[in-house]
Amino acid sequence: MTFEIPFGPQHPALEEPINFMFEIEEERVVNVKPRLGYVHRGIEKIAENRNYQQLVYLSERICGICSFAHASCYSQVVEELLDLKIPERAKFIRTIVAEMERIQNHYLWLGLTAKEMGFETLFMYAWRDRETIIEMLDMISGKRVNYGMSTIGGVRRDITEPMIKRMEESLNHLEARAEYYTKVCTKDPSILKRTVGIGILRPREARALCAVGPTARASGIPRDVRADEPYAAYGEIPFKVVTYRGCDVASRMYVRIDEIKESIKIIRYALKNMPEGPIRVKAPMRVPEGEAISRVEAPRGENLHFLKSNGTDKPERWKIRAPTLANLLSLCRMLMGVNLADIPVVIAGIDPCIACAERIALIDAKTKRLKVWEGKDLWRYANEWYRKRYGL
Amino acid sequence: MRRSEIRKQLRIRARNIIVQRDRRFFVNIEKKDLKRAIRRLMQMKNYTHLSTITALDVGSMIEVIYHVAFTDALVSVKVQTSKDEPIIPSIVDLIPGVALYEREIHDLFGVEFEGNPDLSPLLLPDGWPEGVYPLRKWWSVDRVLSKLGGKR
Amino acid sequence: MVSEEIWALIQIFLFPGFFFLFFLAFFTEWVDRKIVAKFQNRYGPLHVGPKGVLQPIADFIKLLSKEDITPRMADKVPFNLMPVLLLSLAITPLFCIPIVGSNALVSFEGDLIVIMFIMSLIAVLVFIGGWASTNRFSTIGSIRAGLQLFAYEIPMNLAMIGPAIAAGSLSISKIVDWQIHGFWNLFIQPVGFAVLTISLMAHLQRVPFDIPEAESEIVSGWIVEFSGKKLALIRLAKDFEFVLASALIVSLFLGGPYGPWYISPIIYLAKFFICVFILSNLRAAFARYRIDHLLAGAWKYLTPLALLQIFLIKVLGV
Repeated sequence: MTFEIPFGPQHPALEEPINFMFEIEEERVVNVKPRLGYVHRGIEKIAENRNYQQLVYLSERICGICSFAHASCYSQVVEELLDLKIPERAKFIRTIVAEMERIQNHYLWLGLTAKEMGFETLFMYAWRDRETIIEMLDMISGKRVNYGMSTIGGVRRDITEPMIKRMEESLNHLEARAEYYTKVCTKDPSILKRTVGIGILRPREARALCAVGPTARASGIPRDVRADEPYAAYGEIPFKVVTYRGCDVASRMYVRIDEIKESIKIIRYALKNMPEGPIRVKAPMRVPEGEAISRVEAPRGENLHFLKSNGTDKPERWKIRAPTLANLLSLCRMLMGVNLADIPVVIAGIDPCIACAERIALIDAKTKRLKVWEGKDLWRYANEWYRKRYGL
Repeated sequence: MRRSEIRKQLRIRARNIIVQRDRRFFVNIEKKDLKRAIRRLMQMKNYTHLSTITALDVGSMIEVIYHVAFTDALVSVKVQTSKDEPIIPSIVDLIPGVALYEREIHDLFGVEFEGNPDLSPLLLPDGWPEGVYPLRKWWSVDRVLSKLGGKR
Repeated sequence: MVSEEIWALIQIFLFPGFFFLFFLAFFTEWVDRKIVAKFQNRYGPLHVGPKGVLQPIADFIKLLSKEDITPRMADKVPFNLMPVLLLSLAITPLFCIPIVGSNALVSFEGDLIVIMFIMSLIAVLVFIGGWASTNRFSTIGSIRAGLQLFAYEIPMNLAMIGPAIAAGSLSISKIVDWQIHGFWNLFIQPVGFAVLTISLMAHLQRVPFDIPEAESEIVSGWIVEFSGKKLALIRLAKDFEFVLASALIVSLFLGGPYGPWYISPIIYLAKFFICVFILSNLRAAFARYRIDHLLAGAWKYLTPLALLQIFLIKVLGV
């Protein structure tokens, strides 16, 4: 017997609204159809009516978790059009914040995945440790999310000597915790049972479906923008691209835990070798005509911003491709043949960020219309709708 | 990657290849050559994946840009199609991973991708009026809202 | 004569009857929540009453006052009856368990069988409740609950029969009595104890076996359509099941209460909370298993182990 079960747009396993229609045959998935479009904000359309400085803030609000990746990607693309050379110190600070964001994101992911497995204890532990890195980000930028660090022409805040001292302490702590999680996740039988061999994505499929980020790296493909096309200060910092060959959720977990360790090393190196100097240069309001593309390795994978300017202070077209959209097809492939109980774990495996993936379209007609209503109208509308539907 | 390599591989004129900077190439080609060009680029050394497809409104035409990523470069293949008859051959048979990008552009620009089996709405809500392509310049926010019957 | 009747009424309604059991259930929930919170680096309930001890009662009252929705498509009679039946079935077996002295309020030869029967009935009720709410998630949840019953029921009953064979009686009070005069069954039948603990975790649908109500997979499963009073009753019933599980372990394996009437409840409660601690500890230490993992594990390991235990009892003649 096949029957369809909807998964989302509201579902406890998903932090964000996306809809998967699963066709289930005796607890096994035989077909899956994704449907996006529940969090459209029309950012690309809005961008056509804003100037470049305003867009820094807008870009940061594409996604809450990988906000810095988007902001720095946008800053880079504008800097390229302006032909602006940003100071070396700014490049290092961008690298440091980007890596801190990666650590933060990976701990968040570890916690969420544990929760999807029904392992609440690990969820609580991972999120407690995430608090350490968030406090550091708070110390540097003054905010816990949407750091507001990147701007066109550099960064907005400097990292001072006392900050470095405190960061070193917390990095040591985080490294010890990452070691501990490696131990837990490689040994604990109930975690292994839920992750090993689940949600297989073979390297050939990952290549064909254009997977990016940790999803691709867990299938043994060393695809990392930081290494392929060094931006910020990545060209000067030695690091290794973590890959695993397991192709399953367990590998995705190990890739991320190892990346936490690798990021800690990058931050240490960057803090030590950070040159002195100014942290930003002044950027003009008007941007000369041209096209530019910038790529950034966000915690979830490759981020691509395309910008076309027309000589005014507003862009002609700003295209954003977030990693989740690139990984969505791979996810559908992973979900085929998976047990119903494993769906949340597999979905969590690509670290989906739906708000990123669907920044595109215009205002959702329905929400927009509801927005201009008074609360009273809304109430009346809801009542009528239910009356019509259920004959109450 | 160098300009000459791309030229040799794609067998096109040098003036159709714009080197914007190190690692950034823009290639202008005809619509009918698109599939061949993508296939040939895929055969090149260091090819990794197709990053995304961008569509732009450039006056009477719609420009579609395929960002093909290599480990040492990013080649952007540009194709133009007219707004009256926006049809472009789909490359979903070459690279299955572009299915969602093509659907996205179909939603927002109304470009038909010939050969893509599933062009159902991906991002726009159900019941979105036909012929409203929100990212085309003509459809300003006010026009879309008046079409949908809402107010700002 | 009259005083005896009053005494009986006090026993039924105050101690160790309804009143005591209700508070025990709420208190157990609080202890459970606190222990799990400690393991997970949280505080747990904190605000209602000293250290949040009244939180479960507050939750219960709050749920009672909430809107009670019966889905249009639901099969109304079983849907509405199920929480009430579940609660009454969860309370009933507790009267067969000795708390003061070695004699329970209701004690007869074969009450162990009745308890087994009622415990299976609870699982069947869960299935009916989930099925009657005609929600896709609760349907899957109830199917899983039924499957889970196949997995844990046989090892659980075998493990419960072990002490009965050793004591030569099917009455819980007699089993307790036998242990008071001999050894605790824990020392004679450690395997049976382990099997019973694991099976009871599955019966209680607690992590790692909360498969029928897996929140992140099927949105709380069979429970999803219940709200308001019904949900309050179901949650209370789950507390009672938890009390019953701990009480069963104490009675069958840890020797139950002994000593004069004013000491025995204290000893009993001490043992009881040791069991609660064990069960809560297990809940914090695992990730959720899949239904096929549980079925395979139960039939490959738990059932043979339980049979081995019975075989050992028979051969060694302990």
